[in-house]
Amino acid sequence: MKRRGLSWVGEHTVLVALGVLFIAPVIFVVLTSFMSSDQTLTASLWPNPWKWSNYTEVFTQVPLLRWFGNSALYAVLATVFMLVSSVPAAYVLAKIKFRGANVLFTAIIIAMLLPPQVTAIPVYVMWSGAGLTGTLWPLILPNLLGDAFSIFLLRQFFLTIPKEYADAARVDGCTELQVLTRVMIPMAKPGIAATGIFMFFHSWNDYFGPLLYTSENSDWWPVAYGLASFRGIHGTDWGLTMAMTVLVMVPVVVIFFFAQRVFVEGITMTGVKG
Amino acid sequence: MNKRTARLRFPVVALAAASALLLSGCTSGGSGSDFATTTPTELSGTVSFWHFFSDREADVIQSVVNDFEKANPKVKVTVHPGQDDEKLRKAISTGSKVDLGLSYSTDIVGNFCSTGAFRDLGDVIKRDKVDMSQFTGTVKSYTEFNGTRCSMPVLADVYGLYYNKDLLQAAGFTEPPKTLGELETMADKLTTYNADGSIKTLGFNPTMGWYENAPSHYGPAAGAQWLNADGTSAIGTDAGWPALINWQTAYVQKIGWDKLNKFTSGLGQEFSADNAFQTGQVAMNMDGEYRTAFIKDQAPKLNYGTAPFPTADGHTDLYGGGYITGNIAGISKGSKNPELAWALMKYLTTDTAAVVKLSNGLKNVPTTHAALTSPDLEVSPQFKTFLDISESAHTTTTPPSPVGAGYQQSFQDWWNIYQTDPSADLPSALTTIDKQINDSIQLVSGP
Amino acid sequence: MTATADALQSTLGVPTATAVRTPRYRLRRRLVTLALLTPALLGLLIFFVYPLIASVYYSFTRYDLVSPPEWIGLRNYEYLFTKDPKVIIAALNTLWFVAIMVPVKIVFALLIAGLLARARAANGVWRTLFYLPALIPPVASVVAFVFLFNPATGPVNQILRLFGIDGPLWFNDPAWSKPSLLLLAIWVMGDIMIIFLASLLDVPREQYEAASLDGANGMQKLRYVTFPNITPVLLFALVTGIIAALQYFTEAAVASGVASGKAVVGEGTGNNLGYPGNSLLTYTEWLYVRGFSQYQLGYASALAVLLFVVSAILLVLLLRRFKAFTPEGAF
Repeated sequence: MKRRGLSWVGEHTVLVALGVLFIAPVIFVVLTSFMSSDQTLTASLWPNPWKWSNYTEVFTQVPLLRWFGNSALYAVLATVFMLVSSVPAAYVLAKIKFRGANVLFTAIIIAMLLPPQVTAIPVYVMWSGAGLTGTLWPLILPNLLGDAFSIFLLRQFFLTIPKEYADAARVDGCTELQVLTRVMIPMAKPGIAATGIFMFFHSWNDYFGPLLYTSENSDWWPVAYGLASFRGIHGTDWGLTMAMTVLVMVPVVVIFFFAQRVFVEGITMTGVKG
Repeated sequence: MNKRTARLRFPVVALAAASALLLSGCTSGGSGSDFATTTPTELSGTVSFWHFFSDREADVIQSVVNDFEKANPKVKVTVHPGQDDEKLRKAISTGSKVDLGLSYSTDIVGNFCSTGAFRDLGDVIKRDKVDMSQFTGTVKSYTEFNGTRCSMPVLADVYGLYYNKDLLQAAGFTEPPKTLGELETMADKLTTYNADGSIKTLGFNPTMGWYENAPSHYGPAAGAQWLNADGTSAIGTDAGWPALINWQTAYVQKIGWDKLNKFTSGLGQEFSADNAFQTGQVAMNMDGEYRTAFIKDQAPKLNYGTAPFPTADGHTDLYGGGYITGNIAGISKGSKNPELAWALMKYLTTDTAAVVKLSNGLKNVPTTHAALTSPDLEVSPQFKTFLDISESAHTTTTPPSPVGAGYQQSFQDWWNIYQTDPSADLPSALTTIDKQINDSIQLVSGP
Repeated sequence: MTATADALQSTLGVPTATAVRTPRYRLRRRLVTLALLTPALLGLLIFFVYPLIASVYYSFTRYDLVSPPEWIGLRNYEYLFTKDPKVIIAALNTLWFVAIMVPVKIVFALLIAGLLARARAANGVWRTLFYLPALIPPVASVVAFVFLFNPATGPVNQILRLFGIDGPLWFNDPAWSKPSLLLLAIWVMGDIMIIFLASLLDVPREQYEAASLDGANGMQKLRYVTFPNITPVLLFALVTGIIAALQYFTEAAVASGVASGKAVVGEGTGNNLGYPGNSLLTYTEWLYVRGFSQYQLGYASALAVLLFVVSAILLVLLLRRFKAFTPEGAF
């Protein structure tokens, strides 16, 4: 009895200590975002006075709203395009037997695991030939032709659906397409949602892609790239920089809280099954 | 079952292979339009102008562009500020987005002239009878490469010594130092420490790589050479570099690298109001003539003076010179409006009123004789120093090369590390740098 | 969250005997299959197969994007292996991240997951708390960390000073810059921590009870019950971690840019990469510098080909072991 109590206290002490360490950076960032530039360079840890205007200034100093719009466009379109192209492919790979299926799947695994820098140069040359560099389209459009990681994930989800459902639907006279749309997709909804959320965040957080394709055109900068470039242009105003950092963090956290269950389930399923 | 899929697969693979061959042959430079054979009488259309300035300096450029538009009512200029060399290059290489490009330094001239990324201006200069003698000799030399003139100079940057008059007077100095030895002695007296032994203010910050401390800016202090006549690296064989390196590293070690690095890491950003010279944390500093504009804007009460940068002990004959580099402009290969770009370029580089306005706003050194002697040019006593340096015979620049600034970068990277631990054998280290630079030049342009 | 073994076994659904198998039906099915696969097939060809082939081609040329590629044979490779002063530094830096960052991150994630599992704090607030940093866009977390660890004015050194410790220069010191990024990696270990947590909770209780009955102590239970059950997940984390470390770019690039404090006036991003003193120059950053800062795309392609070869070898080695370890067998 006594032993149990001690271990509980011990575990929770460690938890609290770690928890404090983990939340501390966020707290410092938020506090700093309310400080004036001069104060950020001093030892004080509490804003005095509270410079609420940092948050409005950040919108006037840089076209932040536009950058958010770019990020949203990139993330939303990439996700939608990916789902349209990858769900059918994943279904086929999971449920339909055909010669070359293993080769194709292996190719997808390799494509998924290779560093993007390996293929970056010829792809860049291709897009510059098409005149689309300087925009985010080279990052959005390829998702119309599938995304390797998403196909892999979706396939794993489709694998968990027992084949009896598809068989039953076929017996009822459904075409293959109907089997996919009326049976498989509704059943794999959590998996599809999780994959979509992955794609969304991957696009929202992307830095290398925008660096390569939009660095020379600030009209198309997404918010991640804008934040990285912000400090260069605007000197040592840490207060402003932290305000912008907070603004970049917020949408992600908000979306997470709404999609929490789907999210966590999705990740754990991929990790455990993958 | 699989015959069908197999049959369909081959055409797809063949398509991919064919496109591979096709695409590998195509260049992305964009196909631009040509210059006209005679000077166009009327100009109309839209021209895109890419430059690197931002904030206050971008506003100055914009006001001059507005003047150009007023003088040519049918022409519209779309301005893209904040475009560094990397971005400018990207835009030029990938199509026709850039008509006129303005770069902050001469580094790309060597490469752009030889690859044609910036067009050869020889013909239009002759056609429009542009008088090239209005530019000074050095300035002309850094805007062409191997006989091809692909760029025009747009104002110049000249580097010298800034010193805080109040701090110097408080320490008993009335004159700025003229040699590196004097600089060190004065700086020692001007340096103050905190109670715990850390540096409070520095007389002079010798840290290489900080702010404008770069080998290229120090070279002229000892007449150091970068490249031989054949384009190969001269660093290992030149006598000036070891003199500079030894002085600088000895000084750094005297202060103590750790102490110095810690102090330096805490200093404000170069182009913000927290610039260490502007706040008085550093009493003397190497900087360019544009700093006078920043001081006027951000620290108007600063009591400061300017002078040519001290020379190495033993090279006192070189005093009065310094490092000069320029902003340069060129017309991109893929431009669809070369005539408009050329008109704008002529305006920015040769129209005396425009050059003077640019110089007054940016506080950069004008590059035409007419502008230098114009009565409209605002010359503060501190700014005059730089005008004098720009005309000095001892003022040199970094030569153009196919590797752009690569050779400077290699040397600078090495020096930045060497200053933390100057124990290695210096002559052999410099020879190694020579070899690295020559190898990379070979890779880019060797036979 | 538990997998049904039969669902995984019946992966390749073939119509049962009850469906009518006319040739026309079969043909339609093949067409539909092909139609559903075509976008992905095209995507693989255009964005994977073609670029790989093209990269190899470019690696034998000199190409600056302005003029057509010029064939120079093996010159790029000769330079890569004998004359490039920074490629070795870049490769070693990347290897540091692979060999040190990946294991440390996994160990920490496992420890915290274990703690959460033990303390019955697996759901709700605690889990969210440790997971949230992983969600933050990497650029934002790097900028935040560089500020926090600023040697002169950042909170971390200020707090250390309270304890009388003279903090290091963190992101401004070549010896401390990578460890600083390591701290960042630990902070964002939430994404694999969550997977470990799920896997730990999935271990069948009966196995623990059986082990207790056999007289096993805590350590033995860990070794003989816990570890075998979480091995697939450990390997998954290892594989994905190594992949990420091989491509490590964003955090290093943004850290260098922000810590160097250089206003990017005129020069370009490429000049700052690696600060301080090349310590943060990763292989992919060097590829970027050569390709898109110095516009030596032929040479950068040679770097890319080398990266491909190394990655492929590493992955084949890892995946072989992965297959052997999964209880369910092959993919």
